[in-house]
Amino acid sequence: METVFKVRDLNLYYGKNKALNSISMPIYKNKVTALIGPSGCGKSSFIRCLNRMNDLIDDANIEGDIQFLDHSILGNNYDVISLRKQVGMVFQKPNPFPMSIYDNVAFGPRQQGIKDKKTLDKLVEQSLKQAALYDEVYDRLNTNAYKLSGGQQQRLCIARALAMQPEVILMDEPTSALDPIATQKIEELINDLKDDYTIVIVTHSMSQAARISDYTAFFYMGDLMEYDLTDKMFVSPQLKETEDYITGRFG
Amino acid sequence: MNKIKTKDTIVNVFVGLSSIITIVALAIIFGYVFTQGKDLISFDLITKDYHARNYVAVIENDTNQTFEMPSFDDEQVYVSSRYGIALIQSQDLAGDSVIKVAYIDENSPFTTMINQDPSKAQISLEEDAVVSRITYVNHPSSLTNKGAQMMINDLNDPEREIFEVMFATTGGGIRGSIITTLYLILLTLAVALPIGVLSAIYFNEFAKKTKLTKVLRNFVETLTGVPSIIYGLLGISVFVPLTMRFTPASGSNLIAGALTLGVILLPTIIRTTEESLKTVSDDHRFASLALGANKTQTTFKVVLPQALPGILTATFLGIGRIIGESAALIFVLGAAIKDQVRILEPSTSLAVHIWSMMTDEPANIALSSSIALIILLIVLVLNIIIKLIASMWLKKGQV
Repeated sequence: METVFKVRDLNLYYGKNKALNSISMPIYKNKVTALIGPSGCGKSSFIRCLNRMNDLIDDANIEGDIQFLDHSILGNNYDVISLRKQVGMVFQKPNPFPMSIYDNVAFGPRQQGIKDKKTLDKLVEQSLKQAALYDEVYDRLNTNAYKLSGGQQQRLCIARALAMQPEVILMDEPTSALDPIATQKIEELINDLKDDYTIVIVTHSMSQAARISDYTAFFYMGDLMEYDLTDKMFVSPQLKETEDYITGRFG
Repeated sequence: MNKIKTKDTIVNVFVGLSSIITIVALAIIFGYVFTQGKDLISFDLITKDYHARNYVAVIENDTNQTFEMPSFDDEQVYVSSRYGIALIQSQDLAGDSVIKVAYIDENSPFTTMINQDPSKAQISLEEDAVVSRITYVNHPSSLTNKGAQMMINDLNDPEREIFEVMFATTGGGIRGSIITTLYLILLTLAVALPIGVLSAIYFNEFAKKTKLTKVLRNFVETLTGVPSIIYGLLGISVFVPLTMRFTPASGSNLIAGALTLGVILLPTIIRTTEESLKTVSDDHRFASLALGANKTQTTFKVVLPQALPGILTATFLGIGRIIGESAALIFVLGAAIKDQVRILEPSTSLAVHIWSMMTDEPANIALSSSIALIILLIVLVLNIIIKLIASMWLKKGQV
């Protein structure tokens, strides 16, 4: 099967604390990979390695190797900007910019130097449609994004990431701040998006991981405990810890 | 139980007293400035030159006709139909007693006079001019201190023939100082705003949190508390020689003043801008960076627009400081009141104008208070603007 990321022996330190311990795993193309585990297990730290957002933390230190489309991305010379163009990210809290809906979606392309109004219009429309938001906002693209509901804001953030036409979308607990109905919409959206994109999602909800993901990775105390097809892992987990966690005995 | 109650009462009394003392003290200061300054406040004060210009002139052709004069209600106005002129007992902007021209006929002999300076140009007496002396051939002169009535009586005396007229355009206005203050505001902000905002961006967005940046930040903070007279010394030892070196300036000048004020403003602008940069959520920085925008794009397209209200506040605080600063400017900008403001020459801002007035012999408290009132008004308006911007910002944030 085609892989997008190949992670080998990845160690991550925050100062003297080791946050990730020798992680090795592939991430498969056009699949939804869910990262689960109790708080502080390193799943969010791991996802931030994939687009090198950990660079922004002063004392973070990464060892090992991550290959993205067969290029190693951890070297100092690697062009982080072009990596982030291809690996979009959606955050836990909806974080649209305080500008219009249109400007939010057009932000990424504009920073790449796209100025042509027609190209931008097309990109915005297409991205909003992909994010299943277009029908709700097509007649008020120039209103401030803060006027949208929380769920709509999160879909706007997904549209904003899609406008960059990325290869991968990383989602860091994208529904934890949303109500059940908004959550359901995002889950449906993720299901639609996996035909065109590779999605890596961090989630605290077992049922969400079971519903939407093809593969699941269970992180615990900085270790990757188990990584398998979701259907397989939720039916017959290999390890006792995994079973305890997904059945809700701890975490 | 009772002890606690008495303690509470005593504390309450002290708290109340303190606030009353504060309010009374402020009220006395404002009241004093207002009562002293209100009489001189007028449109003329802010549009007229400070220095009166004196002229000595002789009448060129005396037509010897009788003019038809309008009637005046004011008892202080005295009329000479022989010369077509009316004089009024009045006060100049500095509060001294003077005789002014209340009315002059367009054909009056006083409208066609010859200036007695080397130019020998034709010159005309105009309304509002101050007539200080009229000399006569073989008769004693009429002077200001004899009053307007005497002056008119002398004019109407058919025996007398005018030899020379001494008069002055009205002075005492603060137009020059207002212009200097405006120049100072523009030049200072042009220097301090870009440097201050960019430094704040460096400290908050780019600099790693090392010991060195911590020390630098503390240093900037300390600069806020340095007395402005020390900045004045810096100005006279650095900026004045610097401007003299690179421009035709020959001493203290407006540019050196603006540079000095710029240094005074920098810490405030840096601090205020940094505070407002800190209020911008990191979520937005991460979102922008995750979209493949670089640090510069993130800073200028996402962070800075959200910090604009804070930068605007910093600007208005800065303008307030520029208007109010005097000690530093006395050295660097000079204390000589000028009507013709040139940026490479000394002049005075409004605050230094007050200083000049008060160091005059005798101190001119009335005019100083008027200027103080004008400064207070400007500061008040600025404060209201800051409050409006802040509340607009808060409203926007709540959406």
